[in-house]
This record gives sequence, C-alpha cells and structure tokens, in this order.
Amino acid sequence: MVLCIVAFVVLGVMSVFSAKYRPLAKEAFRCVFRTVTFRPCDTGLDDRIKAEVLSRVMRFSLPAARLANRHFQTLSWVFVLLTLGSLAYSALGIYNFYQYGNCDGPQASGACILNYLTSDYGRFSSPTELIAPNDTANGIVAGDLGSNVTVVEFGCFTCPYTKQDEPAVQALIADGSVKYIFKPFPLPGHPYSRDAANAVLCADRQGKSWELRKLVFDHQEACAKGGVLPIKILAENAGLNMTQFDKCFDGNLTSSELDHYIAQGKASHIYATPTFFINGKPFVGVKSIEELREAVRRAKAGR
Amino acid sequence: MNVRNDFPILGKYPSLTYLDSACTSLKPRAVIAAQDEYYEEFGACAGRSAHSLARKTSGKIEECREGIAKFLGAKAGGLAFTKNATEGLNLVANSFDFSKRRQVITTILEHHSVLLPLMRLRDEGKIALEMLRPGGDGMVAIEEWELKIDRNTALVLTNNANNTTGIGHDANAICKIAHESGAAVCIDGAQGVPHRKTDFARSGFDFLCFSGHKMLGPTGIGAIAMGEEWVGKMRPFLLGGGTVKSVSEAKMEMLPSTERFEAGIQNYSGIFGLAAACGYLNKIGMGKVEEHEKKLASLLAGALEGVGAKILGNPRAQNHSALYSFNVAGAKPHDIALLLDRKDIAVRSGFFCAQPGLEALGARQGAVRASCYVYNSEQEVKRLGEALQEIGKLY
Repeated sequence: MVLCIVAFVVLGVMSVFSAKYRPLAKEAFRCVFRTVTFRPCDTGLDDRIKAEVLSRVMRFSLPAARLANRHFQTLSWVFVLLTLGSLAYSALGIYNFYQYGNCDGPQASGACILNYLTSDYGRFSSPTELIAPNDTANGIVAGDLGSNVTVVEFGCFTCPYTKQDEPAVQALIADGSVKYIFKPFPLPGHPYSRDAANAVLCADRQGKSWELRKLVFDHQEACAKGGVLPIKILAENAGLNMTQFDKCFDGNLTSSELDHYIAQGKASHIYATPTFFINGKPFVGVKSIEELREAVRRAKAGR
Repeated sequence: MNVRNDFPILGKYPSLTYLDSACTSLKPRAVIAAQDEYYEEFGACAGRSAHSLARKTSGKIEECREGIAKFLGAKAGGLAFTKNATEGLNLVANSFDFSKRRQVITTILEHHSVLLPLMRLRDEGKIALEMLRPGGDGMVAIEEWELKIDRNTALVLTNNANNTTGIGHDANAICKIAHESGAAVCIDGAQGVPHRKTDFARSGFDFLCFSGHKMLGPTGIGAIAMGEEWVGKMRPFLLGGGTVKSVSEAKMEMLPSTERFEAGIQNYSGIFGLAAACGYLNKIGMGKVEEHEKKLASLLAGALEGVGAKILGNPRAQNHSALYSFNVAGAKPHDIALLLDRKDIAVRSGFFCAQPGLEALGARQGAVRASCYVYNSEQEVKRLGEALQEIGKLY
C-alpha cells in the first residue's frame, strides 16, 4: 500500500532519533520496496496503519470513518503526494539556506540571514545581540542631515529583502524628517554582492549613487546572475562617466571603504540584511513604511 | 462463573476482552506458581540421577502424569509428555506402523498439525491419504465416514472440536466405525480437551493429543494419551536420553513405557504447570466449564448473526463450542481484527493454521475467530457484538 511510503519517511526520520522506531522503519522499507515492485505489502504494516487511522476517526465520527475507509486508497495517495511535496519543499529550504542564508529563498519576505557556515562574519542570531554603530556620519547619506533622528541601514544590494524594503526606505527619506545613512554590507553568500556595493560606492563618488542603486535593485536578479557586465551596463544607464567609473571599479578604489563598512557591520554583530538602527535601536528584516514611521515617531519622542 | 481474579493478566489489562483462547489461553495464578515451584523447590532432572532432589523430582513428575491421566480418564501408563498437540500428532503419523494397511482417513478441515505430517507421508508414498470434505454445515456427515473407512484403513485422524468452525465431530461414533474395520483412531484434542469432559477410556480413542497452553497450562507442554497396548507397537521417531533400557555398540533396547517417547530432559516446569491446570479445571468442574461455554456460544452466535456476519459452519450445531469463525461482508479479516484490537478486544484473524479447511468452507481470504473460555463473561460477548455493529458500518 502506498501509505507505507509516508510511514517510511516519517519512521525513517524518527528512527534516527529513537531506536524503538527502527523495526517499524524496516517494516515500512520492506513494504515500500514491495509496493514499488508491484507486489502486495506482506508486513501487515499497511493494515495496522489503516486500522489505527480508522479507529481514531471512529471516535469522533462514524460517517467520517466510513468515508475514510471507502476512499482509503485515494486518501493514501493524497498523503503520499503531500509527503513528497513536503520533502521537495524541505530540500528547497535547505538549498535556499545554503545559497541565500534563509530557508524561504529570494522571493520570500523576511531578511537575508548571514550564512555563518560559509563566512567568518560571526555567529549572531538575535536582535538583542546587535550593537548600534558608533559611526553615524559615514556611508551613503540622504535626508535631513540636521535631524535628531538618524536611521542607519546595513544592506546588501543583491539581497532580495534589502530590495523589498527599498520603497519604504525611499518613502521615509522623502518624509524629510530623518538623517539616513546606508552602509553597504554585502553578504558573502549572495553572488556579486561585493561588486554591486563597490559599483554603488563608485557611483557615489560621482554623486549618482541613488541613480545606480535604483537600477541595481530594479535589476537585482540580472546582477546576481550576470555579475560585472550587467552592473557596468546599469552604471552606464545611470548616466555615470564610465571612464571614471571603470577606473574606480576596476581599480578597486572603494574596496577599503567597503571593508570599513563591513568591519562596522561585524562590530555591530549584523547577522541579516536589511538591519536598521533608528537612533541606535535595532530593527531586523523588512519593515513597512508604517513600522519605520512609528519607530521614527518613538525616536523623536525619546522612547 | 467468576474466576477472573485468578488470572493476573486480566488484572493488569482490566479493559481487555480476550477472545483468542483457541490460539492460547490465559494462565491462572495457580499454574504460574506451579511452574515457579519446580525451579524453587525441585530443580533437578527426573528418571536419571539418584540423589534425593532428583528422586523428589521423579516422584513429582509421575504424580503429575497420574493427575493429568486422571483428568483425561486415561491410564498413566499410556501418557507421554510432548511439546504440544502438534508433536503428539507428528508422533502418531511418524511412529504408526503402516506396513500392513496404508490408508489414512482425515478431513480437510483439520489443523495443519494433522494435515502436514500426513501429506508428507502421502507424498513419500508411505500412505494413501483420503481427506473428507465437509457439507454446507461445516461437518463431514457420518455416512461419509462409514463409506470411506474400510478394511484398508489403518488410521483415522480427526478432532473432537474443530479449531475453525468450533463444531466437533461425533468422535465416539467415528471410533466405533473405525474399530469395526480394525482401524485405529487418533483424536486431535487441542480444542476439545480444554473445553469438555474427556473420558479417554470410555471413548475408545486409540490416541488423543492435546496442548497444555490451550487449557490454562504453560506453553511448550502437551501430552499424548494412548491405549497401553499401543505403547510397545509405536516406533519412537525421536530418540535420545531417557528412551532406552540399554544400549550397546550393536543394539539398543527401548524402554517399554511411554518414556520411550520422551527423549531428552523434559519440560519439568511445564509438566508441573499442566498438572496444576488440570487441577484448576477439576476444581471448577468440567461440567461447569462446558455449561458456561454453552451459554457463551449461544450468545456469541446471536451476536454474530445480529450483525450479519457470515459464520463458517452451522452456528447452531448441537455440539458447538464457544468458538466461531466469521467474516464481515466487504471487510478483510485482518482489518476487522485490528479494529477490534483498537477497542481492546483480542481475536484471531487469518487461516488459523487450517488453510485448506477455510478454503473448503469458502473463506479464501481467511476469517476472524472469536473463542471464549472460563474467564470470559456474557458482557464481553455483548461487547464484541456492539463493536462489530459499529465496525460493520464502515463497510
């Protein structure tokens, strides 16, 4: 019976942690083997599972148990497909975690978690571990420079969550009530994140960081996949002087500046992007404009 | 009959309805204590050593043999201990002299322990085997026995209570027919001896095999009762320590007693336990046991008929024991048994080691079997009926 496939997956996992499930897992394996070789299961496990399921359903509703009994094979297939789907989803999560530092992948809401398995950025994982940066002057600056509320963002140009929060950040800057400082913090797990950061810093030297930043976020996937070539095309589209840009970019002229921001991020125990410090108070992950405005309001009120 | 307190396992599982006594019965405290007694008070081997503990053990074993023989209405001199009924039946099949007559009559309804040894002898060309088939009532008509048993018949093997249908053949009548033709009769008493009074001497059986564990005794012990005239005629098929009078390089002289069939050290604690089981049943009285089970059988038949179960054999047969095999339309026997198990009702499902018989009765996928004993109550039978009623609605 196909339900043995579900049993094999579940019992297989459980038997890793407890020896008492191993005989059952072996039974399930034999049952699966016989099922996939088009022979009836001879362990009796399928019958026992069916009886267990039906008896439990019977306690609540006899008609439901009757329905389950009559369509047990169909239900079994549903459970098998759900299990296989869950397995595939779990595998995708593991891949995403390795590739992007989180299980949800690039399109999900949340934050790009720093993958400490593949980096030397430290092993922090909680907002309580974050330390507000001392340097609230350097970075890519915008907004009201005289404001008593300073918003520092550590972000990665190829992080989907930094991109996702960009409209809220732009709206906050447009409110004109905060001093905004962006500190590039390229995550090692994100392809070409460092190149994108250097490119924006080079653009900043021409006073056009916001133009290139917008284009990089708009074409983030192309940058992450294509690397230097699309970044340079975007720089050209942003209206940069390409001779100066190439000299800056190819000559790694912003490299030490970028390393400085990374060092600041490490010192602040940054473990995900985007991370905001609003007058020193940390906020990790994508925040809506309402959340950011509320945080600013509280900061202004001294809370 | 209220003996439930005598069975420790029922105290441990108070909600259990145990209806699988045809497979093995539960054990009363007296039997468990008797087994312990061997290890705590005796401990030696019987019939061999001369020290006092061994003599004490030998004496007790012979005392047990006499007690068990008395329970069967047999003579101690014709009683040999075996592992179970299966070993007894194998002993008869393999030790009986088929040199003069080769025909063996049995029924297709018998337990594998009867059929398999005979089928092998048939396949080896040592016997001619006739398996009688039942009618719609699950019984082989007496006329059929009369027709088949003749002067060529060496041995007739059947049961006095069938482990599938719960119906016993009229063993006494079959004995009479067989003896008139000069054939011997071996009765598989595994399901009969535990449930009704047995009088081996008056019944005329030549051999009676039974298991201890189905009659409140321990597992691994049984016995075969035989007419004393058969002891010397049967050629032991298992040889070893304790079976011979003397041995030289050239020849061996077997013991004349039934000990010739008891090769090697015996299951002494089992023998103690079996004797205690006989004592326990005697104390209740086999008449009362039979009366109690008749009541349960009637209730069980009613409960099964009430839920529309298809009962194998005639449920109202006169000598039906409290054992019924049945099927629920549309359901696999194992499914029913497992669902009953979830309701703390223990029954057997499958072929009950009698596959040809079940197939002959039309149960090609097997059946469910409910079997009662002294510790079962009328409420438990009703509980089975109610549970089946509910489960039946699933199909």
